[in-house]
Amino acid sequence: MQEEQEFINQLLSPKTQNQAFQQLILDYQRPLYNHIRNIVLNHDDTDDVLQNTFIKVFQNLKNFKGESKLFSWIYRIATNEALTFLKQKSKISGISSETLQNKTLDNLEADVFFDGNDIQIKLQKAIALLPEKQQLIFKMKYFEELKYEEISEILGTSVGGLKASYHIAVKKIEAFVSTN
Amino acid sequence: MKTFKLENEPKIETGFKTPDHYFENFSVKMMQQLPASEPKVISIFQKRKNLILMVAAVLVLALMIPIFNYSSASSNELDSTELENYITYQSNVNQYDLISGLETEDINNMNTSIAIEDEAIEDLLSGNSNLENLILE
Repeated sequence: MQEEQEFINQLLSPKTQNQAFQQLILDYQRPLYNHIRNIVLNHDDTDDVLQNTFIKVFQNLKNFKGESKLFSWIYRIATNEALTFLKQKSKISGISSETLQNKTLDNLEADVFFDGNDIQIKLQKAIALLPEKQQLIFKMKYFEELKYEEISEILGTSVGGLKASYHIAVKKIEAFVSTN
Repeated sequence: MKTFKLENEPKIETGFKTPDHYFENFSVKMMQQLPASEPKVISIFQKRKNLILMVAAVLVLALMIPIFNYSSASSNELDSTELENYITYQSNVNQYDLISGLETEDINNMNTSIAIEDEAIEDLLSGNSNLENLILE
């Protein structure tokens, strides 16, 4: 916590800002990329959202109150950016977000930056059928292997609630994969 | 078909890939995109605008002074009941002060306005049980 406060001070001081922010990018680019990619699914969109996320983080650092951890604050910004991006994209295309997700999944097999096999595609299709919150929770727990406590801080849901949602999500996915 | 159990399966990866050297180049690309954090510049016009607004506010207040004065003057007239109540309950002006303020002319005027008929005096006195005492005195 002490170290984190020091790091935040470095991020805010004009002298050390650039170097500290570069460190922040290096620390967070991979986990945030995976987090965003799991939500928006294709690489180019992820690249856009990831850049917007870091710009937002940079612009809002001075407003960071330290009420939550830097980690969960940054993840929250990334999650919001990714979900907003999907909503805007479906609005521009004039289709529902479910249709957009299915369309993106259909394109996944042809995506050069996806080398998944049948079971991976089936898993993605099963996830797409879940409500938005359950999708997020499943992806963060199963793919990103975040702890329930961390997910709880990011999404603002209780650990008990998260466990229940994850359990339901797993059951639905297993049922889908078994019958398809 | 056998039932699929997620926990019995080896971990299923996402299968997502990134272009070669994506992360190596990302931080450099990102640093160039950051908005430069320059000190905020307040233009002279901005300052002058504030000054103009202040002057305008003072002028508006100055123009409103006659309106305030007028409205307070109109409520200055006291009605006589209020004045009477005030003198009775609030001030320490007593009867003698009032009397000393009266001119002879005023007293004469009062006498004429309180013209009491003899019969009325008689009625009052006969109704008074202390009449005899009064006579004796």
